[in-house]
Amino acid sequence: MIGYGVDMGDGWIFAALLAVPVAGMIGLTQVRNSFRLLYTLCALVSLQALVIAWAGWRLVAGPAGGLHAGWFMIDALSWHHLMVMAVVFTVSTWYAVSYFKAELAANTITERAMRRFGSLWCGALGAMTLVLTSDNLGLLWIGVETTTLMTAFLICLHRTPASLEAMWKYLLMCSVGVAFAFMGNLLIVAAARGTGLGGGAVLLSSMLRQCAGNLNQPVVKLAYLFLIVGYGTKVGLAPLHSWLPDAHSQAPAPVSALFSGFLLNTALYAILRVTGVVEAAVGNTGWALGVLRLFGLVSILVAAAFILSQSDVKRLLAYHSVEHMGIIAVGVGLGGGAIWAALYHVFNHSLCKTLAFCSAGRLGQLYGTHDMGRLKGVMARDPVWGTGLVGSLLALIGMAPFALFVSEFQIVKAGVQTGQWISVGIFLAGTCMVFAGALQHVLEMAWGEATEHHEVVRRSRLEIVLVTVCLVGLVVAGTWMPAEVRDFLMAAGRIVEGR
Amino acid sequence: MWVDGLFVVLTIANLILLGTTRLSHSIRVVAVQGVLLALLPILRVESIHVTRALFLVVLTAALKGGVFPAMLMRSMREASVRREMEPMLGFTASMALGVAMLAASFWMGGRMQALGLEVSPISMASVLFMMFTGILLLTARRKALTQVLGFLVLENGIYGFGLLVAGSVHWLVEVGVLLDVFVAVFVMGIAVYHINREFDHMNVDELDRLRG
Repeated sequence: MIGYGVDMGDGWIFAALLAVPVAGMIGLTQVRNSFRLLYTLCALVSLQALVIAWAGWRLVAGPAGGLHAGWFMIDALSWHHLMVMAVVFTVSTWYAVSYFKAELAANTITERAMRRFGSLWCGALGAMTLVLTSDNLGLLWIGVETTTLMTAFLICLHRTPASLEAMWKYLLMCSVGVAFAFMGNLLIVAAARGTGLGGGAVLLSSMLRQCAGNLNQPVVKLAYLFLIVGYGTKVGLAPLHSWLPDAHSQAPAPVSALFSGFLLNTALYAILRVTGVVEAAVGNTGWALGVLRLFGLVSILVAAAFILSQSDVKRLLAYHSVEHMGIIAVGVGLGGGAIWAALYHVFNHSLCKTLAFCSAGRLGQLYGTHDMGRLKGVMARDPVWGTGLVGSLLALIGMAPFALFVSEFQIVKAGVQTGQWISVGIFLAGTCMVFAGALQHVLEMAWGEATEHHEVVRRSRLEIVLVTVCLVGLVVAGTWMPAEVRDFLMAAGRIVEGR
Repeated sequence: MWVDGLFVVLTIANLILLGTTRLSHSIRVVAVQGVLLALLPILRVESIHVTRALFLVVLTAALKGGVFPAMLMRSMREASVRREMEPMLGFTASMALGVAMLAASFWMGGRMQALGLEVSPISMASVLFMMFTGILLLTARRKALTQVLGFLVLENGIYGFGLLVAGSVHWLVEVGVLLDVFVAVFVMGIAVYHINREFDHMNVDELDRLRG
C-alpha cells in the first residue's frame, strides 16, 4: 500500500512537487489571456523550482539514504536530475514568453493553441517530476509513458502536415518502445520471486537493491535488455533514434528546447535507475554498464555520420542530442570515475542545448528559415541570439573553456585510467568527426556573408539576460567545481553503479 | 488446461488479424482478444484478493471490449476508411510470416522455461506470437488506424505476458498502466483524425517528407 512508512515531513515535499504541475495543468485551460497565461506559467515553474530547492535542502540535512515516502523517493541521483529539470524548465519557460509574444504579434498562433500549450507544458512538468521521484519502477514507467502523451501535441502546436507526421512517428515509436520497457518491469517482478518481496514492494528499486543477491540473474539480464531498448527508444539511442530529428525540428522552439534539454534525460534517468538494480543483481561485474556503453558508442558514431550531412539547423542540433546522449551513456558505461563526469555532463548538455534551441528558434523567426545555407551572418544581424547560437554550438562540439569540454575530458581521462582503450578510441573518433563537421557550419552561420543587407535587431532585456546567464553558467560550470558538488555527483554515481 | 485452451483461441485470433482487410472486423477481433485476456485472472485459482481481481477484470474488459473499439470505430467513420488496401506486405505473405513467427514463438517459449520461468510453453508461445503480430501490424500496414490496432495487439500480448510471468503486479500499478493505454488510444484517435484532415486519407506511407 502507498501509505507505509510515511514521514509526513518529507511526504509534503512529494505532495507539493506533484500538486504544483497538476494545478497548473487544470488551471491554465481556463486562462483566456495569452500573456497572463505565459506569466502564470513562469510563476508556476519558479514555484516548482523552489520546492525542488527545498527538497535539496532536506536531502542534505536529512538521513543518508535520501527522502522516502511510500512509493516515492529522492536520493542524490534523482535530486541531481530534478535540479537539471528545474533549470531547463525555468530557462525555456521564460524564453517561451518572448518566443510566443512574437508569434502572437505575427498572428501565427491562436489563443486556443496557447491554452493547450500552457496546460500540456505543466502536464509534462508533472509527468517528469513523477518519473524522477518514483521509487516504484511501475510508477516510474507510468510517468515515462505519460511524458510521451503530454508532449505529443506540443510537437504539432502549429498544425502542418510535417508536424503531424513528426508527432505520429514520435507517439507510435515511443509508445511501442516504452511498452517493451514494461515487459522489462514484468521480468523484474518474475526475477524477484525468490526474494520474498510481495505486493507493492516488489517493484521498489530501493528494496530490489537491498535483496539484489536473491534475484534470478538470467531473468534480470533479459529484463535489462528490454528496459534499455524500451527506454532507449525515448532517449534516442541509435539505432532507435529515428523519431528524434523529426520531432525536434518540427516542434516550436521552446518545446524543442524541453525535448532536447530534459525529455531525453527523463528516459535516460529511468535507465540509470534500473542500471543500479541490475548491476547490484549481477554482483557489480559491469555487465549492465557494458551494454549501456555499447549503445552509447553506436549513438556517437551514427550521430557523427548524420551531423556531417545536415542542412537544417534544428536537425543538426537534434543529432547533437543523439551524440550527447551517447556520450553520457558511454561515460556511465565506462564506470568508476567516469560516472560522475557523465552526470556532470547531463547538466552541461541540458543547459547548453536549451540555449541552442532557443537561439535557433528566435533566429528562425527572424530569417524565416532554419536552413543553414540561408542563416548566415547571424552575429552581425542579431548580436544577442547570434551569440547564443554560436556560443552554444561551440560548447556542444567540445570547445574549451565551456563545461562540456571539461566533462568530456573527465570521461576520457577516467576511461584511460581504467585502460578501456577501444571505447576511448571510438569516443574520440566520433567526437572529433563532430567537431570538424559542425565547426564548418558554425563559422558560416556566424560570420558568413548575408545575401542581403538588414538592420541590426534589438532584443529585449529578458532575452539578453537569458543568453548571458546560460553562457556565463556554462563557463562557470567549466572552470569551478566545488568539492561538495563533486562529492554529491559521486554519491549519485555510486547509485548508478549499484554500490 | 482451460488456460491453454484459451490461449489457442487467442492465437487463432492473431492469424485472423493477419488475414483480414476489413478494419471493422479487425477492431472486433482485437476487442474479443482483449476481453478474453481480461477474463484470464478468473481462471487462475491462486488469485487471493477476489474483490481487487474482479475490479481489474471488469475495468480491463470494459476498456478493451467496449471503450477502445467504440473509439476506433468512431475514428474509422470520421476518417471514412473501411479497408486496409495494398498493405506493404501482402495478406498471403503476412500469413506465411505469421506461421513462421508462431514457430519462432514456440521455440522462444521453450527457452523461457530454461531461464527458470515456470510457465506453460503453449501459453508463453501464444503471448509471444501476439506481440509479434502487433509488431507486424505496426510495421507492415499503411493505414494509421491499423497501426493503432497493432499497438493494441502488442499491449494485449504484454498484458498476457505479465499474467504469465509476473502474476499480478500491484493493483495501483495495473490501474495506472490501463489509464496510460486508454489515454494513448485516445491521443492516437485524435491524431488519426487530424492526419486524415491534413492528408485527405490515412496512409502512413504518405508520411515521408521528413528524412535524413
